Amino acid sequence: MKHLPLAAQLAALLTAGTLAAAPKVVELPGKSPLVTIRFVFTTGAAADPAVKPGVASLTASLLGNSGTKDLTYKQVLDAFYPMAASVGAYSDKEMTTFVGETHVDNLDRFYAIMRDMILHPGWSQEDFTRVRDNAVNALRVGLRGNNDEELGKEELYNLIYAGHPYGHEDLGTGPALEKMSVADLQAFYKKHYTQANLIIGLAGGYPPEFLARVKRDFTALPEGPADSHDFPAPAAIAHNRVTLIQKDTRSVAWSLGFPITVKRGDPDFVALLVMQSWLGQHRSNCRLYDRMRELRGLNYGDYAYVEYFPHGMFTFEPEPNIARQQQIFQIWIRPVEPATATFALRLALFELDRMVKTGITQEEFERTRSFLSKYVNVLTKTKSAELGYAIDSAYYGIPNYNEYVKTGLAKLTLDAVDGAIRRNLRAENIQIVGVAKDTEALKMELTVGAATPMHYNSPKPQDVMDEDKIVEKFPLKLRAEDVTVVPVGTVFEGQ
Amino acid sequence: MIRPSFPAALLVAAALTAFGSVAWAAGKIFPYPYVQEDLPNGLRLITVPTGYPNIVALFIVVSSGSRNEVEPGKSGFAHLFEHLMFRGTKEFPSEKYQAEIKDAGAASNAFTTDDFTAFHTTFSKEDLPRILSMEADRFQHLEYSPEAFKTETLAVLGEYNKNSASPISKLFETLRATAFTTHTYRHTTMGFLADIQAFPQEYEYSRQFFGRYYRPEYTTIIVSGDVDAKRVRSLVDERWGAWKRGDYNPEIPAEPAQTAPRTAHVDWPSPTLPWVVVAYRGPAFADTTEDTTALDAISRLGFDESSALYQRLVIQDQSVDALRANPPENVDPELFTVLARLKDAANIPAVQKQMIAAVEGFATTQVDAAKLNVLKEHIRYEFALQLNNSESVAQTVGQFVALRRTPESMNRYYDEYAKLTPADIQRVAKKYLVEQGRTVVTLTSAGGTR
Repeated sequence: MKHLPLAAQLAALLTAGTLAAAPKVVELPGKSPLVTIRFVFTTGAAADPAVKPGVASLTASLLGNSGTKDLTYKQVLDAFYPMAASVGAYSDKEMTTFVGETHVDNLDRFYAIMRDMILHPGWSQEDFTRVRDNAVNALRVGLRGNNDEELGKEELYNLIYAGHPYGHEDLGTGPALEKMSVADLQAFYKKHYTQANLIIGLAGGYPPEFLARVKRDFTALPEGPADSHDFPAPAAIAHNRVTLIQKDTRSVAWSLGFPITVKRGDPDFVALLVMQSWLGQHRSNCRLYDRMRELRGLNYGDYAYVEYFPHGMFTFEPEPNIARQQQIFQIWIRPVEPATATFALRLALFELDRMVKTGITQEEFERTRSFLSKYVNVLTKTKSAELGYAIDSAYYGIPNYNEYVKTGLAKLTLDAVDGAIRRNLRAENIQIVGVAKDTEALKMELTVGAATPMHYNSPKPQDVMDEDKIVEKFPLKLRAEDVTVVPVGTVFEGQ
Repeated sequence: MIRPSFPAALLVAAALTAFGSVAWAAGKIFPYPYVQEDLPNGLRLITVPTGYPNIVALFIVVSSGSRNEVEPGKSGFAHLFEHLMFRGTKEFPSEKYQAEIKDAGAASNAFTTDDFTAFHTTFSKEDLPRILSMEADRFQHLEYSPEAFKTETLAVLGEYNKNSASPISKLFETLRATAFTTHTYRHTTMGFLADIQAFPQEYEYSRQFFGRYYRPEYTTIIVSGDVDAKRVRSLVDERWGAWKRGDYNPEIPAEPAQTAPRTAHVDWPSPTLPWVVVAYRGPAFADTTEDTTALDAISRLGFDESSALYQRLVIQDQSVDALRANPPENVDPELFTVLARLKDAANIPAVQKQMIAAVEGFATTQVDAAKLNVLKEHIRYEFALQLNNSESVAQTVGQFVALRRTPESMNRYYDEYAKLTPADIQRVAKKYLVEQGRTVVTLTSAGGTR
């Protein structure tokens, strides 16, 4: 493909009704002395064989953190060092991404190594053992041991998608990783690292002939087939249910949600973006944040999402290239003091219930729309992010993301937002996950149904006190059998 | 971390390629022309037109961090104050402030470190006047009730709670409390838990803290992006000119010299991997001597992915899965640290010994000149890759402003780096990376092997 503007490229892709013939290309040429390269394979954890959970993620990690057929990993690191360059590798359910950025001075040398890492991996046992240990530790120590919030958020997905291709942690399980071998990764690589699954993304000041070289090189991959992403719907959630993960921790972290049928490009998507921003704009003032943190001091923050957003405690903007055909609605309640845990959960559900019943006001709608139409530029402030979004747009079959959102917002009405809320959201039949120390007492509090009044360290306005009287009794509709307690040591330890 | 640099040739090429013709002072490392000026009240303004279109990044640095928390029982106040700054004024109560920020589509946040507090906002250029006005208003007229104060203290406790799930917070809390006996670096930016829990009773002190530090002579405004320096100056004169200078100067207690190595251990209540941190009492940040650049070079040559120790521990024997070093870059003398996460607590003694040998080896053996040259190249490209948008330009400038109140510090620092020799590195290592200034802290799961 020539250096067409992005909009024209995507239009061409869309005209064809699908992504163009393999390998697909997304380009954002420019004058910057920096060049960003993204190789995205449309494969991931959803393609893990049932008995090998984690193989997609581990394959990506090994390729991104090991030697090639010609260079040891040490030689790769030494070669990258003067360029201050590196290759990042990550994998989600449907996408596996290799991203590198270099100064154009070093493009040839950098690209040659990055290419060989993907096309001609070294598959050394020593590299494999190191990368596998890292995965096991990321699972058992990083996620399970040291990050209660992310643990809850991840386990929410695993529970909602139980029995579904999305239904396991991308990293896999401890026992599965321990049994995994280089041969397992090679089998996955051979089957899924195909031209039909590949999107080549280039941005910045690379020379015009560079793309042809990249395309030529990547014909070394098998042509196909492409992964199918035609997944069944997740099982319905018949009533509210809670999983409490028991561990020794100071506070209680909550996550809750349910599947939705809307993804980027669908008619209700932009309306749900407005809802998301109003109810729970990430790491920002929003309805949940204002009512839970600002007004009541319950915790550090409270947010809502309609697209997967991992590592939210470390980042303000979402990582691109984790596109999915299926998404959930999610509320993230940051750790609360144990004494206020049930009240905080009730308050989040109370706010959700109110929004579903009454929608948002005209003024709130207009302010949120105005915010999003400008904020969308912040999401793509670097070339690398802009390229990532452009690749996602090609995957979802939509125009340039910023234009897509701005155009959608311009046409949007309050009725459309309220309608999208009513059609897609609910305040019942929700999966809830809590990470807590005293899980038995918490289970009792959740299921007995008694009021859980809030006590403040300073006087509150009467309207807040009145609202609290409702919130403290907000029905959780949980029977004893709806609440499961699991010791943290058993999480991610299944097959 | 300070990680910028740029050689002149590369710099000119980059500036010209990326932004067309950019006026650029010969010999300077920072690629952007900037204007630095002081208002009569002591407020400093630095404007950096970057050539990146449409977006403006505003970065306001207040030279008040946990270093300034000199009174016992008042640790964590600079950070608490970062929170309180979002509690509003008469003209812009919190809800109105947030509504304006939303209306501007701005990304707005703040953070606190040992030495400073930074408030940053990124937005479209047409919103510069109103954002500057709102910021001027809250810096001069912050007003929050005792009730709002108490509620905000709980949000800070919530922040402590969410951090507390990670053993790293506890490890560094312990390291600070062990390596320092007197200086305010003894506590982390979050502060001691007991002090955080006592915050709700400290409303009066919070007003005093505001009166001391939220003053023009402590504050530097950095505006980068699609901006014109004259226009920015006139907006700042208009909205910030009446701000009154203060007269408070804290007496930060000096840390006495350390005379013998120290150790401490943390028993972590739940399962985790063991950690070791090896630290040395280092110098204050310096941009006119080789102290800081030499320690930065050691942190990289000794512990980066390409280093011999990383290769041995992480790649070959795989007893360690994370290793990194950080040089001290603070206003006052702070710590050179090397941090490792191990896979098995049984290896702590052996790994600790190798970490110490790697650090202290810089005093006995000179580094290879060719390796130092490769490092210098690495640093130049690292800088080039870093300045890829107006927000990161403001942030990079902000790091140096926090230390020396001028981007010129960046030019001086990289001049020092360019001149650095193997003999300089050895001399600095001999001075600071010595046994008597060493503190080692280990962390293991309670009941696990040490």
